Amino acid sequence: MTPEEAAKTIFSGLKAAGISLIATLPDINLAGLLHEVEADRDVIHVPLCREEEGIGICTGAYLVGKKCAAIMQNGGFFNSNNAIVTTLLQYHIPLLLLIYYAGDIGDRTFSTSGSMTEPVLQALGIRHYVMREPSDAPELIKRAQILTEDSKRPVALLLTKESLGRRAAIRSQ
Amino acid sequence: MKRFDCLGMIAKGATDALVVTSAGAVTLEWNAVRPSDGNFRVRTLGLCSSIALGMALSLPQRKVIALDGDGSLLMNLCSLPTMARMRPKNLVHIVFDNEVYEASGSKKTATATGTDLVGIARAAGIGRAVWTHSVDEFAKIATEALNGHELFFIGAKVTTERTEVPPYPIDEVENKYRFIRYVEKTEKIAILRTNLPSSYS
Repeated sequence: MTPEEAAKTIFSGLKAAGISLIATLPDINLAGLLHEVEADRDVIHVPLCREEEGIGICTGAYLVGKKCAAIMQNGGFFNSNNAIVTTLLQYHIPLLLLIYYAGDIGDRTFSTSGSMTEPVLQALGIRHYVMREPSDAPELIKRAQILTEDSKRPVALLLTKESLGRRAAIRSQ
Repeated sequence: MKRFDCLGMIAKGATDALVVTSAGAVTLEWNAVRPSDGNFRVRTLGLCSSIALGMALSLPQRKVIALDGDGSLLMNLCSLPTMARMRPKNLVHIVFDNEVYEASGSKKTATATGTDLVGIARAAGIGRAVWTHSVDEFAKIATEALNGHELFFIGAKVTTERTEVPPYPIDEVENKYRFIRYVEKTEKIAILRTNLPSSYS
């Protein structure tokens, strides 16, 4: 899939899962997906200044009836940790986290973030699944939404570069 | 000006508004002034304004009030540009600025040395952002904000004087359920669904 096709596939998965408010902060690899979010008229899109505020915005929206998703890089997930612990986990709030997996195998620049991402999710008891194929997105999103609603805890989908239709840099430069 | 007196003024005009209260004594005082399942207590310092924003955007026909503090807002200043950007007409953001981290030993916040939260709100793009200096002035502005249809930011310089009130009666999870049930009832919508095994459905 091209990045555009992958973005459309992931976004249609979010719509099919009933997501109607999405808080985002850009990463270059998420650009296509955020374009889809922005272009949709029915979804409330909240562009953030810092990811932690997005945890609050999604919590408020959930409390009055919205199904929400937060889209961010793993750096943003680290930024959000206090809110995840003392709001999402402490109050049993469901939230679908779509996290770009910077520093994943073959991805340059943020290998330290990559190495800490899954251990931190695990330490917080947040169930997480790595998405590698864009075509898996609708099914994975549907299942993750069921799990987050049923467990009343956040669930994370880690979006790798190839899941967004982009090639991981495998050649040395 | 005492925070407790200002809260009494808000309660007069708040009627069925959803109210989000910041971590700290404001939660307990507000609960004493207006006990309601439509109150949501925040435990993450800073998140009050963001949780209220999420509610206001998702329920545009309902008034939402954030009762924030200076220490809290200073930790989440970026909620102001996001609020200004989304511009919900049903949100009133009130900040009680007593210039200290009252719940954490009363060390001074940055507003004690001149940081102007209303100035920051205006510079962030919130058109209606005003300071109030007396209970009468606060009551007038709060009434205008609660009856109006635009995003409003109100700063209130208050003393550190606390009012003796009962402890908060419920824990976080009960607060969540009661709040959601209150929204379901008053908005006549279904939010929570029970998870019966498929053989029962």
